[in-house]
Amino acid sequence: MTEFASPTALPSHGGISRRSFNRLIAGSALAAPLIGTRAFGQDAATFKIGYIGPQSGPLGIFGAHDGYLIDAIRANLAGGIDVGGSKMNVEIITADTQSDPVRASQITRDMINSEAPDLILTHSAPETVNPVSDACEAGATPCLSTVAPWEAFYFGRGGKPGEQSFKWTFHFSFGSGNFVNLYDGQWSLLETNKKVGTLIPSDADGNAIRAGLLPAMAEKGWDVVDPGPYENMSQDFTTQIEAFKSAGVEIVVCFPFPPDFPVFWRQAAQRGLAQQLKVMQMAKAGLFAAEMEALGDLGQGLCTGVYWHPAFPFSSTAAGLSNADLGKAYEAATGAQWAQALGASASLFDAAIALAQHSGNPKDKEALAATLPKLKAETAVGTVDFSAGPVPNCAVSGLAGGQWNKAAEGPFQFQLDLVSNADFPQIQLTSDFKPLAFG
Amino acid sequence: MLEALIQGILLGGYYAVLAAGLSLMFGVVRFINLAHGDMAVLGAMIALWFVQGVGLSVSLAIAVTLPAMAALGWLMQRLIFERALRGGFLIPILTTIGLGAALQNGMFGLFGSETKSLGAHIGGLSWASWELPGGIFLGQLPVYMFLTAIVVLGTLHLVLTRTAFGRAVRATATDADAAALCGIDARRVHRGAAAIAVALAGLAGIFLALRAQVTPFAGPMLLIFAFEAVVIGGIGSLRGTLLGGIALGVAQALGGLISPQFSILAGHVVFLTVLGWRMSQVAAADRGGWRSAYAALILKHKTAGGKR
Repeated sequence: MTEFASPTALPSHGGISRRSFNRLIAGSALAAPLIGTRAFGQDAATFKIGYIGPQSGPLGIFGAHDGYLIDAIRANLAGGIDVGGSKMNVEIITADTQSDPVRASQITRDMINSEAPDLILTHSAPETVNPVSDACEAGATPCLSTVAPWEAFYFGRGGKPGEQSFKWTFHFSFGSGNFVNLYDGQWSLLETNKKVGTLIPSDADGNAIRAGLLPAMAEKGWDVVDPGPYENMSQDFTTQIEAFKSAGVEIVVCFPFPPDFPVFWRQAAQRGLAQQLKVMQMAKAGLFAAEMEALGDLGQGLCTGVYWHPAFPFSSTAAGLSNADLGKAYEAATGAQWAQALGASASLFDAAIALAQHSGNPKDKEALAATLPKLKAETAVGTVDFSAGPVPNCAVSGLAGGQWNKAAEGPFQFQLDLVSNADFPQIQLTSDFKPLAFG
Repeated sequence: MLEALIQGILLGGYYAVLAAGLSLMFGVVRFINLAHGDMAVLGAMIALWFVQGVGLSVSLAIAVTLPAMAALGWLMQRLIFERALRGGFLIPILTTIGLGAALQNGMFGLFGSETKSLGAHIGGLSWASWELPGGIFLGQLPVYMFLTAIVVLGTLHLVLTRTAFGRAVRATATDADAAALCGIDARRVHRGAAAIAVALAGLAGIFLALRAQVTPFAGPMLLIFAFEAVVIGGIGSLRGTLLGGIALGVAQALGGLISPQFSILAGHVVFLTVLGWRMSQVAAADRGGWRSAYAALILKHKTAGGKR
């Protein structure tokens, strides 16, 4: 970490501590659910779920929908869930990692020690799921996580291929194999010269992608032009842009730290690269409509992987809504546009309820841990099947291909259209895949 | 090569504006503001609010934001920094770390965690460019930003060298007590300097929002670049800060030419080299020359070893 002045790296000693300030300003809304659930109290027939995610800090946007979602799930599950023929109450407690891995680890330990949840759920980025999972593994508490490449979860924590490396912690998400599938399928829909430029930084995700994805793409017949790793927060992309232009690439795929993308993309447009491209494929960046709105006209036609979309023909049992209704209900309740993170978080609770029901005794942590390796659950992101996973602790969920288009109508500027479905043959596309038509 | 050099110089203008406020605060008020980056983000957020919330045009929003930031700087000097300075060396640092955290979380609470950019509100200007002979592209926005940086820093330089206020600032910076004896109100000067510094931070934040995007937690990274530009250029000198910013930008662009991975590293290396050189210069001045400085360094080690 280079952020030496970051309040997350240094404890604040002054009168205004980060935590107390947060509670004052932004935290009141986050704290409310915590207080609300305490009223349920603890009783033997209550399945207690701890939900830990980033609600503030740089990853806070992944938790922006938490307030709505938790309320919706609590309302839906107010009558309890059916476990082995009898009703069982569900209690949800939440905690905020503040996007800080150290804090994520600590609040997980605190939650295990003080609240003793039966199951912990966590989501979004290795910076969240890895420390939370490690703390759960150490604290002998079952944990389910999602939204981070499964390789980063499994190998990043020292997992070994071919054996069950963790007893308590399980993860379902996309991985580099999904990207190969998605990109090969989607880019083949267009007539291109098959030359692909890559913009991949030298961070943990980037290194994993460079090692896994690029050779696989080359194998599929794509001519990969890689100018090499670069550092996050770079302000000047002249070298990469010149390399792409002189190689004549028509596709660029990038895995940037999200704030870096507009810097690159505006420079690419200034120097004529954007005008030359047919496909601009983003991962990590480009997940949220706000990023497209920040780009304005330059956001039109950009592509991203989609791990949840209201048009996915699945439903969330925890929220009691189909994906389409979940998206609509969220927009109606909050006035904000749906985001992929909403359904991904809902899928965690879907899997949690399926786990409770399959295990027969959700109050028994050993029973939950024994059920997890063979859990097969229908969730908002599709079927999650740990028995079929690439490694025993992981299941792979699917990715569809999305393209940002200016919204035809409605209150929001951009809409995410589904344009390819390599992983989910059953989903309906919402639009044709169109080449970039910029400049 | 030429291309990278030009891009680096243009980038340097942005770094210079980012660094100038920090340099001014340190040079005049002797106050290290670790919340400088967060103030830059605050400036961007305020301008964004004027554009998106109130519906002003971008140029009008900038015209309103900068005085607002200056007023904020004056108030902060009056209410926070002056008190912190009385508490010794450590208190200002802790105060500004706390202020930074408060600003980050406050902005998160008020404006949300979504990324925002002014670039979307200036239409084609965010990617328009001129093509020079030889296939060199000059982005229009970077050029305008660079020219603005030159004009702003140049004007400030003139204010500091040619006006009564500037004379008061320089006198206070050199010796606050002696200046006070001559009838200069040091507190007023400090507040003025803080107002200018925070307005400059706001301008840098607006530049950032135009060329990239801002989130409430982007401040600390800005602070690093600002610090590097200040140290490279020399503390308390606006011309030095401009050159320092350009040196940082050029180092990053040329470093990127060697390998994309060296881009930011090259900036850090230049910063460390300059820092090392400055420190050895100070040591040399203290000991009356290079040789005695190094001799003293070695001897000190020997005596320390002997005592043990």
